[in-house]
Amino acid sequence: MNYLFSPDNWEWLWTGNNARFILEGFLINLEIAVVSIIFALIVGLILALLRLSPIKPVSFIAGAWVDVFRNLPLIFLILYFALGLPSSWKQAWEDAMPGWAPEAFQSGLVLGAFLGLVLYNSAVLAEIMRAGILSLPRGQGEAAAALGMTRAQSLRYVILPQGLRRMVPATVSQLITLNKDTTLVSIIAITEVMRRGRIVTSSGFFVEVQAPILQVFIFIGLLFVIVNYALSRLSRRLEIRERKITGTKMKRVSGVEDVAVETA
Amino acid sequence: MFDVLTEYWPEFRSGFWVTCRLIVASFLVAMVVGTLVAAFRIAPNKWLQRLGGLYVEVFRNVPLLVLLFISYAGLRRADVDIGPWTAGIASLGLYTAAYVAEALRSGVFSVGKGQIEASLSLGFSYAETLRRIVLPQAFRTVIPPLGSLTIAMIKNSAIIGVSLLALPDILKQARIVQARTFETDVTFFWAAVGYLILTGAATLAFRFLEKRFSIAR
Repeated sequence: MNYLFSPDNWEWLWTGNNARFILEGFLINLEIAVVSIIFALIVGLILALLRLSPIKPVSFIAGAWVDVFRNLPLIFLILYFALGLPSSWKQAWEDAMPGWAPEAFQSGLVLGAFLGLVLYNSAVLAEIMRAGILSLPRGQGEAAAALGMTRAQSLRYVILPQGLRRMVPATVSQLITLNKDTTLVSIIAITEVMRRGRIVTSSGFFVEVQAPILQVFIFIGLLFVIVNYALSRLSRRLEIRERKITGTKMKRVSGVEDVAVETA
Repeated sequence: MFDVLTEYWPEFRSGFWVTCRLIVASFLVAMVVGTLVAAFRIAPNKWLQRLGGLYVEVFRNVPLLVLLFISYAGLRRADVDIGPWTAGIASLGLYTAAYVAEALRSGVFSVGKGQIEASLSLGFSYAETLRRIVLPQAFRTVIPPLGSLTIAMIKNSAIIGVSLLALPDILKQARIVQARTFETDVTFFWAAVGYLILTGAATLAFRFLEKRFSIAR
C-alpha cells in the first residue's frame, strides 16, 4: 500500500510530458476502436443478410464463416494477419494512407490489426443482428409480402429498421469490448497506449524519470474504466428506453462476453 | 500441410495442455470469486452491494492485457514474487469473475417475486427459500450466459501467452513454430484447430447442460 500510494511513485505522472504521451496513446486506441466498429458494422450487416439468405449454400457458407471467426481468439487473428499478410499489401496500405491520418495508422502493420478487429467483430455483430432480425414476429415479414413488397423492399422498409433498432444497446456493449481489445494491437508493435506505457516505464536516455510499471498501468486501466463505464451507462439507458418502447426482453448472444439482444 | 503438425507435434500438444490448464484453473477462480461478488451484490447490506458493484465495474471495463501487465510486470517491479502462472490465472479468473457475478445476479433476479412470497407464506425459512426455490431455478437460467462467458474466457486465454508472461500456450507455441518454419498459414491453421476444438467442446458441453436441466414444458 505504501508503495502504491507513495508520492515518489506517482511523480512520473507530472514529470515532462508523460501524462500527455499516454493520453495521446489512449486517443489512438479510441480511434482504432471507432474505425473498426464502423467497418465491422457494415461487414456484419452483409454477413447477417447472407446468413439469412433463402439460398441454402449462401447461408451455409456465411454461417460457417461467422462461426469460425466468432470462436477464434481475436489476438490470434491479429497476430496471424500481422505475420501472414504479404508485405506488398502492407506496402500498399502505407502508400494509400493519406498524410493527415493519425500517425499510428501509417504503419503497414495496422492493416493486420484492422483486418483482425474487423473480421472478428463483424462476425460477432452479424450474430447480434441476426438475432435482432429473427426476434421480430414472423407476421411482420408475412404482412410485407402480403402487401406486395418484394423481399428486398420488405427488408429495407419493414425488417431492418425494426430488427437493427433492437441491437443498438448490444452494439454499444460490443464497442466496450472492442475498446478493450484495441490494447491487443500493441502485441504487433503499434505504439498505442500499452506500448507508450512500456516506453514510459523503460529506462533510456530520453526518459527523464523512470516510471514504476504498476502505477503506469493502473493509470492506463483507469482511463479505460472511465470511458467504458460511461459507455456501459449509455448502453443501459438505451436498453431501458428500447424496452419501454417495444416491450421486449433481452436475449444473450452466445460466445460473447457481455452482449444481449432484445427479443419479443 | 500435415508435416508441420507431425514434426512439431510436441510443441502443439504441450501448448494445447497449457491452454487447457489455464482455462480450467481460471474457470474455477472465476466461479468462486464470481459467486462471492454476486452474493455481495444481492446482500441486504448497502455497503457490500456497493463493493460488489465496484468490483464488477472495474474488472469488466479494464482490458485484460492491462491486468496482466499490472499483475506480472507491475507487481514484480514492486518486489512481489509472483509467478507467470499465478499472474495469468489470477488475471483471467478475476476478469471473468466480474461477468460471472453479473450473470449469477441476473439469474437470481429472474426468479419471480411471487415465488419467493409464496414460499415464505408456506412457512419456508429465508435460507430454505433460497436453497429450494430460488437457486435451482436461477441455476437453469444461468447456464447459457455461463456458456458464453466460458467461450469468451477460452478466447481470452490466448492473450496470456503472447503478452509478457512466459506461458507457452497454443498461440505462443504457434509463434515459436512459425518462427522456425516460416509456414505461417499452416501453423496458424493448426493453432486455430486447437482453439476451435476447445470452444466447440465448451459449446457442446453447455448445450448439453442446458438440455439436461431445462424445464419440461
